[in-house]
Amino acid sequence: MSTKTTALSGGRSSLRDNITRYFSFSAIIILVVVLTATQDNFLGQMNLRNLLRDTAPLMIMSAGMTMVLLFGSIDLSMGAVCSVSNVTYVHLLLYFQDSGMNAAVVNLLAMGISLLFGLASGLALGFIHVKLKVPSFIASLGFMSLWQSVALLITMNPESVPKVLWPAVDWYKIVFGVVGLPLIIALIIILFIHCVTRFTPSGRAIFAIGGNERTARVAGMGVDSTKILVFAINGVLAALAGIFLAANLRSSAPTIGDPFTLKIVAACALGGTSLAGGKGSELGTILGVFTVSIIENGMNFIGVNAYYQNIVFGIFVLAAIALTVDRSIRGQIVK
Amino acid sequence: MSEMERNEAQAAAVETAQPAGHIGTDVLFSAKDITKTFGGTQALKGVELEVHPGEIVGLVGENGAGKSTLLKIIIGAQPQTAGTMTLHGKPYAPKTPMDANREGVGMVFQEQSLIVTLNVAQNIFFGHEKDFKSGPVINWGRMNKEAAEVLADVDITDIPPTKKVSDLNFATRQMVEIAKVMNVTKQSGTDHCLILLDEPTSVLNEAEVENLYKQMRKIADRGHGIIFVSHHLDEILHITDRIYVYKDGTSVGSLDTKDANEAKLYEMMVGHDTTTEYYHLDRQTVPQEEVLLEAKDLGLHGVFKHVNFQLHKGEVLGLCGVVGSGAEEVCEVLCGDEKPSFGEIYIRGKQMKFSSPKQALKEGVLMIPKERLFEGIVSTLSVEDNISLSNASELAKGPFVSAQAVREQANKWIQDLRIKTNGPKELLRQLSGGNQQKVVFSRALASGAEILLLNHPTRGVDVGAKEEIYALIRNMTDEGKAVIVLGDTTDECIGLCSRLLVMKDGLVTGEFEAPADHKPSQVDVVSLMM
Repeated sequence: MSTKTTALSGGRSSLRDNITRYFSFSAIIILVVVLTATQDNFLGQMNLRNLLRDTAPLMIMSAGMTMVLLFGSIDLSMGAVCSVSNVTYVHLLLYFQDSGMNAAVVNLLAMGISLLFGLASGLALGFIHVKLKVPSFIASLGFMSLWQSVALLITMNPESVPKVLWPAVDWYKIVFGVVGLPLIIALIIILFIHCVTRFTPSGRAIFAIGGNERTARVAGMGVDSTKILVFAINGVLAALAGIFLAANLRSSAPTIGDPFTLKIVAACALGGTSLAGGKGSELGTILGVFTVSIIENGMNFIGVNAYYQNIVFGIFVLAAIALTVDRSIRGQIVK
Repeated sequence: MSEMERNEAQAAAVETAQPAGHIGTDVLFSAKDITKTFGGTQALKGVELEVHPGEIVGLVGENGAGKSTLLKIIIGAQPQTAGTMTLHGKPYAPKTPMDANREGVGMVFQEQSLIVTLNVAQNIFFGHEKDFKSGPVINWGRMNKEAAEVLADVDITDIPPTKKVSDLNFATRQMVEIAKVMNVTKQSGTDHCLILLDEPTSVLNEAEVENLYKQMRKIADRGHGIIFVSHHLDEILHITDRIYVYKDGTSVGSLDTKDANEAKLYEMMVGHDTTTEYYHLDRQTVPQEEVLLEAKDLGLHGVFKHVNFQLHKGEVLGLCGVVGSGAEEVCEVLCGDEKPSFGEIYIRGKQMKFSSPKQALKEGVLMIPKERLFEGIVSTLSVEDNISLSNASELAKGPFVSAQAVREQANKWIQDLRIKTNGPKELLRQLSGGNQQKVVFSRALASGAEILLLNHPTRGVDVGAKEEIYALIRNMTDEGKAVIVLGDTTDECIGLCSRLLVMKDGLVTGEFEAPADHKPSQVDVVSLMM
């Protein structure tokens, strides 16, 4: 009996793995071909530059989310943390601009405080999830609601980066050919995290925890500490994305992170990371991120109403997960 | 329950018990040549069972003898691999417990199967709500009334049917469960039902046990058959009419209760001792002086207490006990998985308070868990990644784990332990049970832990792999490691260990020295376990 089932599930899983592996890759090619064929200048330098630049914040956050999903949890508060960091950063720039400090110092101080906020939020979420055993889904949902309100309380209306401090955010517009500095930073971050998850002891623990948390614990791995650490890193990455967004627009917006929540999950799922944990990779997430970016950019290019865009993403998330989810475990649905 | 109280309860039960003259001669239920294979292992190797109307049949055997497996097959929770069953002389092959219920077979499960968020009446008629429909809605009043009648039928009058099950204590829940099963079978419409009771007395006090005996006898007197499984031989001897003894998935024999006594049953249960080569007795080491681990008055609230022992270098210490004796929990406390409520643990003379298995591993204590699939392996990872789970940081050069070191380590263990795999990259879920267990052993050995807690190390592996695992345990002690074994059988425990602690109901009831040339007899050990 057992050998037969093993063979069967082995066959099924390899098919599933192949779908996962090539799904986003083929999606990218099809999208690019269709958009290039139907739209003039889709691959023009101008649009390509925009597309690649706008990809950076999503990639940074998806890099963190992938780790969280890999060990079997989820963080829905990333978009809201990103918003708070975004408004905090610009608000602090305005606050410190007349303090007489050097512009670079002001910039670093504002960045530092925003990132510290992200760290604190991630640590708190990790602690509540791991030590108080609140499911990550509901704990991060609570945090999402909390930080969304806090962002609006910090500033109802978008604030602009003061003109004197523009040089401090100009790094965001540095471009090498069509590839901007933000994307390069984002790629360095995600590749670094990829190496951490694949090759360091704590990173490998993430896969073990996602695969079988009980085994990881009994085998003597630091399950709780690993989880809290990853949530903390995740918070910092969300805050960093908020700073990226502020630098891009030279202004803040208290709801800027909200639409990211869905896009992050979409990017990770399209990249083949299992929502059940244990399976997936940061490299897959890179492809997933580009897929999401191209869809979004393509819809903007064609002129699809922004309100319709989320319908498309919603459907994509459902389709990607339905295609990749592991149904071999009977009667068990994750989260 | 103290010895005296138990005796009183038995005496009372004897009074209520009636002579067995009412048992019919025709067969109510029979099982022939039932086998059950899980993966590569045979849990049942062709067992027989026969129940006559009005008969209470006892089923005894050690852990893993196949009692629970057989019950699960009879109730339709699992299909048998081969063999046939008949009920009322007709072929009987239930696909689900519901099927079994419809044919008049009901079971009180070892694990409580009531839904605690529902009330008593809702539980009793669970799955039969349609019978109480008045139009589109359920007539709760009628359901409650009928539930009260069902309860009264088993002499329970003090539980209101509207009470939530979560508000009842375990003993009361058990009685509700029995009432529920009685009702289910009554609805099947047959005169002679079959009731399965799997360890029903473990949570009951004396008065409740007495009532249970009374109810069982009453049920039997109506012509129903009962199969009663218990670890308490005294109970079996008092309430049953006939006893089947199982061992290692086979039925050793059956005898009338009036011809049986405890000594006889112990002997049948343990069977013959296995040959010395099987356990590599020639390689059993004499424990050294140095004490690696010491437990002083260790206890876990409500589970076990007053556990004292020393574990020496090169020693294999056996913890024997049936399920619920606390032996497994001692293991969990020692490996840092659970915090002890009382007492102290000393590692190499230093007192330790572990808050996680990670800390225990730092001190060289590691457990090989009982449920391989749920706590031993990560099936989504490869063989090499599983082997390096516990020592990844030692394979790191600088911050990064060396992929080459992981591979080399895996290849070494695959060769040493003769793990059958297509290579270190193969996913663990593709391996057979025995080979998965060898991977778990590799991981434990690679971790460098000096104190290994083996919780049922040979569970679910075939005979060949078993012997290899025994050899591995001998290797461990050769290297000066200390091992605690919770054996799958008493025979295994005696064969492997140089000293045995026997536990029963959370207390250590005996200690045996077991040098290679002078092993204690199984009957002596088992008689302290049950």
